[in-house]
Amino acid sequence: MAADPETLIERITDYASRPDPYPLYAELREHGVARQQNGSYLVGTYHEITALLHDPRISSDRRNRTEPDEAGDEEQGIPPSFIGLDDPEHHRLRSLAMRSFGPPHNPGRIDALHGEITRIVQDLLAQLRTRDRIDLVDEFAYPLPVTVICRLLGVPTEDEPTFRGWSDTIVSGLDPARGADPTERQRAAADARRAMGIYLGELAASRRGNPGADMLSAFATDPGPDHGGFNQIEIMTTAVLLLIAGHETTVNLITNGMLTLLRHPEALERLRDEPALMPRAVEELLRYEPPVQMLPQRTPLADIEINGVTVPRGAPLILVLASGSRDPRRFPEPDRFDPGREDNQHLGFGGGVHSCFGAPLARLETQAALTALIQHLDAPRLVEDPPPYRRSPVLRGPRHLLIDHDRAGG
Amino acid sequence: MNVVVDLNRCQGYAQCAFLAPEVFAMHGEEALLYHPVVPDGQQERVLRAVAACPVQAILVGEEAGTGER
Ligand code: HEM
Ligand code: SF4
Repeated sequence: MAADPETLIERITDYASRPDPYPLYAELREHGVARQQNGSYLVGTYHEITALLHDPRISSDRRNRTEPDEAGDEEQGIPPSFIGLDDPEHHRLRSLAMRSFGPPHNPGRIDALHGEITRIVQDLLAQLRTRDRIDLVDEFAYPLPVTVICRLLGVPTEDEPTFRGWSDTIVSGLDPARGADPTERQRAAADARRAMGIYLGELAASRRGNPGADMLSAFATDPGPDHGGFNQIEIMTTAVLLLIAGHETTVNLITNGMLTLLRHPEALERLRDEPALMPRAVEELLRYEPPVQMLPQRTPLADIEINGVTVPRGAPLILVLASGSRDPRRFPEPDRFDPGREDNQHLGFGGGVHSCFGAPLARLETQAALTALIQHLDAPRLVEDPPPYRRSPVLRGPRHLLIDHDRAGG
Repeated sequence: MNVVVDLNRCQGYAQCAFLAPEVFAMHGEEALLYHPVVPDGQQERVLRAVAACPVQAILVGEEAGTGER
């Protein structure tokens, strides 16, 4: 097997690596920082990633790349959302969005969703229990977060087939090395972002006269603090970001979670007996099988030195979070899944100013989902291991997860 | 159940304030306020907050059967 560190990104993004990329990450950690043939740099060690996440010289705005890509082309699409902007602009928009999502202005919003999440989980589960073989992805792990984010934003769930297509296209635009022509994919992704933005912007505008308790209504009507509320373009980019994030991440945490528990029956038993352990088990899943494997969109604003390697200004810098969370210099026995692990400051939600906005929601949904699954599925068994994976090496998770179980009598 | 937040360790990530808003509250963007004596019915929420705190700044006392060692 070739062990050229310059080809690591190709080997990681190769679809054949999807079921188990972790040996490649171990190889990456040996090099600390690995320059790739395409001029990008990979970082895979915990302490270096953490420092970079907090380093103001590292930009999240792709327009700072020496070789700009279509994702930064505004004629083609709409401007970046706050995940792709730097402070102070990032902070202004994130704080505006937070006004209708959490503390200090709306501290009870996520807690108040608890009952609704439980109800959706119970409804989905009731359907699963009528059949011996289920696809956990299509029948449970995908519909749950999608239904929740739609309720929260105020997007009609019936329109889901429309935005599912946009969402798929946008996600494939994130893929750092796939295929010969990334330009084509990024152009398609920009078009999809614009289409989704127009759709969500119109929905928000239609709420102005008659606002509800949903976030799109708040975006359209909140006058904001001194420096004002959102403009129409900002509503579009922010709503697209939230809808995509709500669509493409939690599904993988729930699915990776169930897969991991089925591979570790002793952990599954322990959680069945000790449900209070679930919040910690979910943190361990975020460390051990994280849905966001890497952050492909950082760029240094100046030449910087990492571990003795100079990364030039404007070069693509890829932070491999999933590798950092398995760094033996930070976590004892990093390849062991330990649902009771202490001192677990994993990188699953990133870190620094861009750390995940939706983390409390993702946590609640996943805790509720896994608790219900292990309590209500009788003798669950994997049908195939490894399962077939989705394409993306960035937002990684099974495309289907077939599980057999003993059907509830009646 | 009682809680203590190690405010030297706390970095104002607010995860606790989302997950147990009756016990933890953000004062402005960074300062954290909390009730050291957890009201009845809030225990489960507090345990979620403890697990979610990225820097393990929340310490819980007097708990029963929570899986804590
Ligand atoms: C298990 C599920 C999730 C995981 C693993 C996850 C992970 C992440 C990570 C790693 C980042 C950092 C990105 C960066 O630094 O460039 C992030 C940012 C973000 N996430 Fe999540 N996320 C999840 C669920 C959600 C949900 C449900 C929402 C929406 C409600 C959401 C909204 C966001 C937003 C808006 C950002 C950008 C934050 C910023 O730039 O300030 N996420 N997420
Ligand atoms: S979650 Fe932890 S770090 Fe964040 S505010 Fe609460 S106690 Fe502080």
